[in-house]
Amino acid sequence: MRRQIPARLPIGTTIAEAREVSLELGGTPILDGVSLSVRTGEVLALVGPNGAGKSTLLSVLSGDHAPDRGEVFLGGEPLPHWSPVETAMRRAVMLQQATISFPFSVADIVAMGRSPWYGTPRAEDDENAVRAALETADITEFRERVFSSLSGGERARVSLARALAQEAQLLFLDEPTAALDLHHQEAVLQLARESAAADDAVVVVVHDLNLAAGYADRVAVLSHGKIVADGNPRNVLTAELLTEVYRHPVEVWPHPATGAPVILPRR
Amino acid sequence: MGLIGLLTVALIVLVIVAAGIGQLHIPPAEIIGSIMHRLGLDLGPMPHHPQGDNALWKVRFPRVALAVLVGASLATAGALMQGVFGNPLAEPSVVGVSSGAAVGASLVIVTGVTFLGNWTIAVAAFITGLGTTLLVHSLSRASGRTEVVTLVLTGIAVNSLAFTLISFATFIANTSAREQLVFWQLGSLNGATWPAVTAVLPFTLVGLIASVALARRLDLLSLGDRSAGHLGVDVERLRLTVIVVVALLVGASVAFSGIIGFVGLVVPHLIRMIAGPGHRLLLPASALGGAVLVIVADLLARTLIRNADLPIGMITSLVGAPFFFWLLRRTRTRQGGWG
Repeated sequence: MRRQIPARLPIGTTIAEAREVSLELGGTPILDGVSLSVRTGEVLALVGPNGAGKSTLLSVLSGDHAPDRGEVFLGGEPLPHWSPVETAMRRAVMLQQATISFPFSVADIVAMGRSPWYGTPRAEDDENAVRAALETADITEFRERVFSSLSGGERARVSLARALAQEAQLLFLDEPTAALDLHHQEAVLQLARESAAADDAVVVVVHDLNLAAGYADRVAVLSHGKIVADGNPRNVLTAELLTEVYRHPVEVWPHPATGAPVILPRR
Repeated sequence: MGLIGLLTVALIVLVIVAAGIGQLHIPPAEIIGSIMHRLGLDLGPMPHHPQGDNALWKVRFPRVALAVLVGASLATAGALMQGVFGNPLAEPSVVGVSSGAAVGASLVIVTGVTFLGNWTIAVAAFITGLGTTLLVHSLSRASGRTEVVTLVLTGIAVNSLAFTLISFATFIANTSAREQLVFWQLGSLNGATWPAVTAVLPFTLVGLIASVALARRLDLLSLGDRSAGHLGVDVERLRLTVIVVVALLVGASVAFSGIIGFVGLVVPHLIRMIAGPGHRLLLPASALGGAVLVIVADLLARTLIRNADLPIGMITSLVGAPFFFWLLRRTRTRQGGWG
């Protein structure tokens, strides 16, 4: 089998790209001509109301859905160019909901993240990668516990650790913070920042606009299957745009200390 | 690997003990002596009874060998099915794969065709078993999951269809084929011969080797199709491969011994309780455990009642059916309903 271990791409390289992607699911158009590029060294937040197509865009970028029209690229090649294992060496995905059919332990599940490297020289790093991922996700203390005995937030951190252990340069996080408390929400986004600082690319779907504003280098706003804004959070997350997209009056102020946008719905 | 060692020792001891028990009792030392002599080594005592050696090699050994192959095949097939359905209740006899394989085998028995010689029955059982497994797989999955209730109901439907076809085969059979079919349907190792063992052996071997090669990917599949895909598993190809392997193993075991239920349910479940859910240990340990279980069940079948050879399927169902019910209740409680 042809297995090329990917070289790490330098900072600022486009690692993944959607070009004019359209997709219908069950006869309903979900994505409508979406173009988006993901660059290394950058945290990209996908925001937008329910049903805007954020998670679907993530699943198209990660190869779960082939688009009806348009193309998806990974590491400079069209996605179908890579075998499933080669794709897995290049991008890791953390899904919203994690389930498991048999009672595997937390350590077993995180170690599964290493499977793309099975039989390659990088398998030597397995032990270190798993230990580091457990620590980063703050779950070392329940490494021996069975997944089904964990709370929702703990499960989310196990899924995150599994994605981290994969050590791909591109990380997709689909609502990683939905089940987390304030401390762990901040920790996950902080972690995304650190990964980006080490030249990884991180794409994160979030509902909390303040998390996006506080941590993302770039924000893309989706509405009705289209990207309506894409750029620096300070330019993109404006009261006018958010009020229109969310169909609810929204107020935005610059934070007195950092200048980052602070977003509140009008109550 | 302590479990594998333990099961291997248990299996070897049981093979020797089971071969010695019957109307003609042969002590273990004489059995080992007889095997050594066949291997050209003049070690140990030969069976002292004039018919002892003959009974061992003509009747007992083929029967024990078939028990080992059938038990290993069924338990491995069960573990594979549970992995691919992501459901601890999937099992060849429960969801109708065994009866599906039995349709092909019974049609061959009734019509008497022998287009592939010794392998005809096994190949026919494989083909209809494969068709059934594909059918169950496509019917019982909805949006990437197999709910318990869907799986069990699909099993009921597929089993009743298969038994209708088997009934038809029984109806059109002549008297002697009919008698053969009836006993074979209940599950029995009574007809074990060396040709049967050699017909089953390649299916079982290929199936067991393939299952070990699939083990790592089956672990990943328990995360769900999407996550397994994200870790580099070609999910569709894996599913299809597992289905073919299951059909090989079930076809092989059904061909000469009929439907022996619940081995694939009880054994992998016990192994999981002892050794955890990882397939790299679960699959080989299930193969050994299945062989042990079927040897014991067959020993009971032929010794419980003097001068009677009970159907082994009856023995395994006696234990397996209540176990299945217990597992069903527990899964139901754990999932908080019939979902």
